[in-house]
Amino acid sequence: MKRALVVSNGIGAEQAFPSTKEICFDVVQVVPSLALELAGYDLLVVPNGADHVAMFRNRVKVREFLDQGKALACFCGWFMDWIPGNRWIHDNEHPTKQVRHYKGDDPLGLLDGVDLGRLDHNEHGISGWWSCGYIQAATGANTLIYDTWGRSMVITDSVSTAGLMFLTASGPLGSYGRYYDATSPIARMYENFLKHICSANQLAIG
Amino acid sequence: MEGKIGLIFNGVWSQYAMASSSKYRQIYELLYVHELNSAQLSKFDALVIPFQSHQEALAEHRELLYDFLVSGKKIAVFGDSTPKWIEATWEDRPVNNYWWVADPNNPPIAHTDREHPVFRPLVPRHACWHVHGVYTQTPEHAEIIQRNAEGETITWQTSHYGGILFVSTLDPIVEHGIQQIRHLDNFVDSLTEWLCGVRPLGSFEICPEHYGVADYRW
Repeated sequence: MKRALVVSNGIGAEQAFPSTKEICFDVVQVVPSLALELAGYDLLVVPNGADHVAMFRNRVKVREFLDQGKALACFCGWFMDWIPGNRWIHDNEHPTKQVRHYKGDDPLGLLDGVDLGRLDHNEHGISGWWSCGYIQAATGANTLIYDTWGRSMVITDSVSTAGLMFLTASGPLGSYGRYYDATSPIARMYENFLKHICSANQLAIG
Repeated sequence: MEGKIGLIFNGVWSQYAMASSSKYRQIYELLYVHELNSAQLSKFDALVIPFQSHQEALAEHRELLYDFLVSGKKIAVFGDSTPKWIEATWEDRPVNNYWWVADPNNPPIAHTDREHPVFRPLVPRHACWHVHGVYTQTPEHAEIIQRNAEGETITWQTSHYGGILFVSTLDPIVEHGIQQIRHLDNFVDSLTEWLCGVRPLGSFEICPEHYGVADYRW
């Protein structure tokens, strides 16, 4: 069984990451001077609404974890510089109603069964509801989803470190059953990623 | 008044985005919730505790917060809370952030006391977007400012502790930082002026160099 650690900053975000038959999720709460202990974990999850001050203070441990060939998932806007090679930048210059999503390179199959139209418009016809800003991706990273203006919304990066990073431009992914069913892009992308983590070749270069 | 507001900060990007924007960064200062201390607070006219705050950490600083009120200043609280530090009962409710499309004549707030200084300058549409839960019990000394159609309390305030404690399940700070709802300048600017006597000027601009930083302070 694989093991994952979710970093919680007290707002209940860890509820979107229950354990499954294949992967056991532990939760660590942010406290003053949090020092992440990542030994024994395969995956570190930083959910939407995370504490990026705490993550910045643990950036060396995150880097070491990735350099061991492990995986990081961040579904939040990391305004502090703790993710190797990649930068998230907020933006309000583009009308949210014009946001559309386009498939890029997806060698790991994380977009299998994902209906990008449901990111374009939610069930109430609202656009621009999912992500904010964009990612300045590292050279060699894969952009899975681009936006209307050709900016990276979702990437995988297995070149900046020896491990795998799966990053969104603050768009939440996970099991948010109250608001999004299992067929939603939010759930489907997340499930595809977990399947990849649990497979034997989880660190295949994408 | 000096025009300074302390934003109690949980490391959340939208809280950072709002406070660090060109329009607000001279007024708001981020105070990391895990490092709060009384020495920091004396220079502020008011404190804001936004939605997506760390409730357990706030409870640990309860005394510090109420000492701030005793000094005659204001604290504005948004989103959820716990009885560990506020004498009220907050309950969760599904968030309806699509009423303006699906049922525009039925907003999540049915009644607003328009005489309140924050709401007096606002048109009705700017006093409501969506809410995160309700208060099912408030202190006897609370003044109710906003209610939903079911009569549940959305916004209330009290001067019982000294100063003014203003509490709402609206989420102006986080949503203004997110910048998907573009009329929030109206509410946030009115709130800011009420809290510290200074009305923000200009437009909400995001500077790319403020992202990917090594220090959240400026």
